[in-house]
Amino acid sequence: MKKFLPLALLLSLVVSLTACTKKETSNIKELHLTISAKVKGMDPIYANDVYSSNEVARVYEGLLEYHYLKRPYTLVPNLAEAMPIVSADGLTYTFKLRKGVMFHNDAAFDNGKGRELTAEDFVYSIKRLADPKLQALGWWLLDGKVKGLNEWRAKFADLTKVDYTEEVEGIKALDRYTIQFQLAKPFPQFLYSLAMPFTFAVAKEVVTKYGKEFINHPVGTGPFILPVFKQSNKITYTKNPAFRKKLYPSDASAEFKHLLKDAGKPLPFVDKVVVDILVESQPRWLNFQKGRIDYIVIPKDNFDSAVIPGKGITDELAKKGISLLVTPSLDVTYTAYNHDRELFRNLKLRQAMSAAYDPAQSNTLFYNNNALPAQSVVPPGIAGNISGYKNPFHGPNLELAKKLLAEAGYPEGKGLPEITYDCPSSTVSRQIGEFFKKQMAQIGVKVKVINNPWPELQKKIKNRTVMMYGIAWGADYPDAENFLQLLYGPNTSPGANGSGYNNEEFNALYKTAAVMQDSPQRTALYEKMNRIVAEQVPWVFGVHRQSFVLQHSWLKNYISADFNAGQAQYLNIDLTKKKDMTSKL
Amino acid sequence: MNLWVYTFRRLLYVIPVLLGVCLIIYLLFNVVAGDPTHILLGKHATAKQMAELRHELGLDRHWFMQYLDLVKSAFTFDFGRSWSTKQLISSMISEGAIPSLTLTVPGFFISTICAVSLSLLVSFYRGGLFDKFTILICISLMSIPSLAYILFGQYFFAYKLGMFEISGYDFGFPHFIPYIQLPVLIWITLTIGPDLRFYRTVVLDEVYQDYVRTARAKGLGEKLILFKHVLKNAMIPIVTYVVIQIPFLILGALLIESFFGIPGLGGITLNAINSSDFPVIRAMTILSAVAYIIFGVITDILYTVVDPRVRLN
Amino acid sequence: MENVQSNSFATTEIKELKSKSLWRHAFETLLRDKTAVVSLFTVGVYALIALLTAFGFLAADWAAEVGPSYQSPSTEFLFGTDIFGRSVVAKTLKGTQVAMSIGLSTAVLSAVIGVFLGSIAGYYGGKIDEIIVWFYNTFSSIPSIMLLVAITFILGKGLVAVYLALGLTSWVGLCRLIRGEVIRHKDREYVHAASAIGGGDFRKLFKHILPNVLHIVIINFSLQFQVAIKAEVILSYLGLGVQGQPSWGTMIDDAKLELARGVWWQLGAATFAMFGVVLTLNLLGDALRDALDPKLKGK
Repeated sequence: MKKFLPLALLLSLVVSLTACTKKETSNIKELHLTISAKVKGMDPIYANDVYSSNEVARVYEGLLEYHYLKRPYTLVPNLAEAMPIVSADGLTYTFKLRKGVMFHNDAAFDNGKGRELTAEDFVYSIKRLADPKLQALGWWLLDGKVKGLNEWRAKFADLTKVDYTEEVEGIKALDRYTIQFQLAKPFPQFLYSLAMPFTFAVAKEVVTKYGKEFINHPVGTGPFILPVFKQSNKITYTKNPAFRKKLYPSDASAEFKHLLKDAGKPLPFVDKVVVDILVESQPRWLNFQKGRIDYIVIPKDNFDSAVIPGKGITDELAKKGISLLVTPSLDVTYTAYNHDRELFRNLKLRQAMSAAYDPAQSNTLFYNNNALPAQSVVPPGIAGNISGYKNPFHGPNLELAKKLLAEAGYPEGKGLPEITYDCPSSTVSRQIGEFFKKQMAQIGVKVKVINNPWPELQKKIKNRTVMMYGIAWGADYPDAENFLQLLYGPNTSPGANGSGYNNEEFNALYKTAAVMQDSPQRTALYEKMNRIVAEQVPWVFGVHRQSFVLQHSWLKNYISADFNAGQAQYLNIDLTKKKDMTSKL
Repeated sequence: MNLWVYTFRRLLYVIPVLLGVCLIIYLLFNVVAGDPTHILLGKHATAKQMAELRHELGLDRHWFMQYLDLVKSAFTFDFGRSWSTKQLISSMISEGAIPSLTLTVPGFFISTICAVSLSLLVSFYRGGLFDKFTILICISLMSIPSLAYILFGQYFFAYKLGMFEISGYDFGFPHFIPYIQLPVLIWITLTIGPDLRFYRTVVLDEVYQDYVRTARAKGLGEKLILFKHVLKNAMIPIVTYVVIQIPFLILGALLIESFFGIPGLGGITLNAINSSDFPVIRAMTILSAVAYIIFGVITDILYTVVDPRVRLN
Repeated sequence: MENVQSNSFATTEIKELKSKSLWRHAFETLLRDKTAVVSLFTVGVYALIALLTAFGFLAADWAAEVGPSYQSPSTEFLFGTDIFGRSVVAKTLKGTQVAMSIGLSTAVLSAVIGVFLGSIAGYYGGKIDEIIVWFYNTFSSIPSIMLLVAITFILGKGLVAVYLALGLTSWVGLCRLIRGEVIRHKDREYVHAASAIGGGDFRKLFKHILPNVLHIVIINFSLQFQVAIKAEVILSYLGLGVQGQPSWGTMIDDAKLELARGVWWQLGAATFAMFGVVLTLNLLGDALRDALDPKLKGK
């Protein structure tokens, strides 16, 4: 039986390897996070998804940021010394830069030592966003808005090389620490764009040195350092020892007063940030429960599958010191009609389907009853949402739905073709689609659910080959304009208006409001538009979701935000508590 | 035929197959599936930007040039950059191959050794209760879908019992070992059934040959016959079977990698499929096809070295 | 090693003499094998369930809500309920229909393509053979997962796409075997005899040669059947699977969100149902091989 010796040896090897488990004893503060998608490199101008932009914002910084502890969202200076001076016509913004801000050390600089950040760096970074050769994903943000920038972009589109020394009138470094923007037209959302990672400051030397590999060599001014970005499933950042003196805020909105214990202390608090990329939700969830991850964002459409139904969390979780944080998020889910189709120009049909849909039940099934059924497009929390407004065609109202369907010319669904419903191919999207199908069946409307990989769905929407599709929109910045643009006629696909809805009255109002500064008049216009679309039902409105976060007891200062770029620097870990609690997990 | 001539001719045959592979890949992914601009430009893309990008990527060139590029990439392994992550595909592959191999090679090694040893054992007791029972176990293992093993294994053994790491990966020996234990065990569970069944058939094929009867008639012991003669002769199909599986090891394990957070080629492939990242899908397809073809050649040559009569055909 | 060739000659000689009684003999062997009878019976039960659900006699109301969301198994809900409060038992039964139809269509499609290309290549030889061999060598070099993805990209989503995708990617093995067998058979005396009395190519191929390689097709059929049922799970995981009706694959896929919170019954029910049919098909395949493959006869 000599032949079986290797087998026995191997088996015992496996068993012995199993026996040695890793021990965790460390006195350094490590923040453990998890995300569910691959990060698309570390170049700010390509950071168009929430995961990539959060990673970018650990290393890079912008002129402005959102105050960590204030709601509604308030912009505060970050790399800028103060908020800008704005000219009377609202077209010129002048920023003073903070002095003594240093880039991380990198071989691209002289002697490998990071140099000071200057106004020219911002001029360069924003030109990069417009560079026609780079195809930046954030170009839409400034497209047509900064004086001379579109011309600059157009000029080099057909040339082989882009000349950054050629000046753009709209972005100028007046001196080493002063930067001035001139807008081509009023763009009240301009300041928000300076808090988005697309416009964060990069250093020209680094871009030049690494070329196309710049995506893997992030060198910023931010609180954390990542020497090389690898396409692995784990990203480990270390604290930037030379980070400028930046303090934890000392003022907060009423609901965040309890988070002021660290007020006035220097940032960042943790020594290391470890980001685990786990595509599947089962390992994410299991790792969290074992305390390997400090907080976990429960996928918004997936509450029911992740936590036991009912309002709170189970005793079992509570005993482990885990707490649940529910925060409204600025978003809306919807099922859009393709308005290119003659069928959906029939207003009564649209209203009938809306009245047959029960958002309350979908809320129960998919959002643990914590979401708000959407009456229209603008979510609560930003100007333009009409509190207390009830959409007259809001479901469930089967009687009304049946009546409207008959008026539309399809009594009990007779004569109506089968309607296809496209959605992303995730398990939950599929379930939401099945739910929609069931709801429509109640009034005799036949729906066929089609799952697509995400890019495929995008393509179908842009090519206008869909009939209906289920999707959601999350805010890029806290302004109703970001939602209303989804229904603005001229934005029709391939623009952001995927449904192709086109209403003269709405378009005119949008055009007026888009160039207005925040004011009661603008809010009135926003509300009017919101009401129009509620009654016109260009989409079947779903819900405004809430974000659900479970956090361990040792994680301090965590709040859930729609715009959480740069958040890691504010988070703190209570090491003694962690030691105590992990032993119980 | 001389061995060298045979080898040369066999290698020559690689060319039409490789051209054919490229043609199929081209037809499937370039012609039918292909406008990348939505993926690359995101939700705010304009028609003009899309046209610019198409030009930038060379997608507006003649189809034959695009096909030639594909063929060229099969030799140079220069696949360009990923559409979704913008990374150099060749470096994605070289970085992803290591974690994949640390998972598949031990799994493959253990599974093969176990299966070959067990196949000899069951052949020894052929037709008996032990034989039937082992085969039943094998078939039972094969009758459960891999996803079920992974979900259950991770939940029960790693989480509930805490015997293994739930997920993750560390580069370098021996850091990766705790992370690959459960994945390797699942890999073995998945492969040992079909392996053992195959090896059993191979061994049984030999057991009924005349030379075994002769040996038995000569009074040799059953064990000696099995290990000395049968195993020696069964080695040809066994080695063939082993070699032909090697290319699949490089590809990694699609589901296992994505559930256990192992940054290997399987996960890269899956990510590419989910994000319609065609350059990566194409590259992975070409890579595995090339590996498959090369190992096919190696198998054939090994075969002729062992059994020169094959060359005559 | 020298024994290999002479041995096979000896057995084939005898086999051809008794070619008529081969099938009867095989059938008798099969009936004597208890496992085979039980397997055949079980597959029959699955097929019956599939037919009953297809015609609406069984589990027609699978989409109905029978209770609250995620009820664990009890006397009321035998296998609990899913997220929508639908009965998992009803979904599993309905899933049988999908699974069996996928198995059947894949097996038929791969058999048709494999036999057609394999016999043509083997019979005609020459350029035709070279082209077909080149084609399947090329085809089999591409990993089937990639082909599946590409085909579903082209055909769109749905049951028909799944049928075609699985069928179109699983014929190579059979094609190879058939080609080899046809080459072996075409120079036999009985085929020459057939041409002597004026049989055309097609007559020779279909009347004389194919019946002699049919056992390979049958064995392969039972194997492809179960491989396809298992492959459906992977397709569902990739979001390329069956849409709009329950399948075992989508039920198992659902479990990746459910199991972590202790909902094991959908995974359990679907895995169990699949285990049953795949296991019996495998056993049946083995029994068929024992009964039909002359090479193994007498062992």
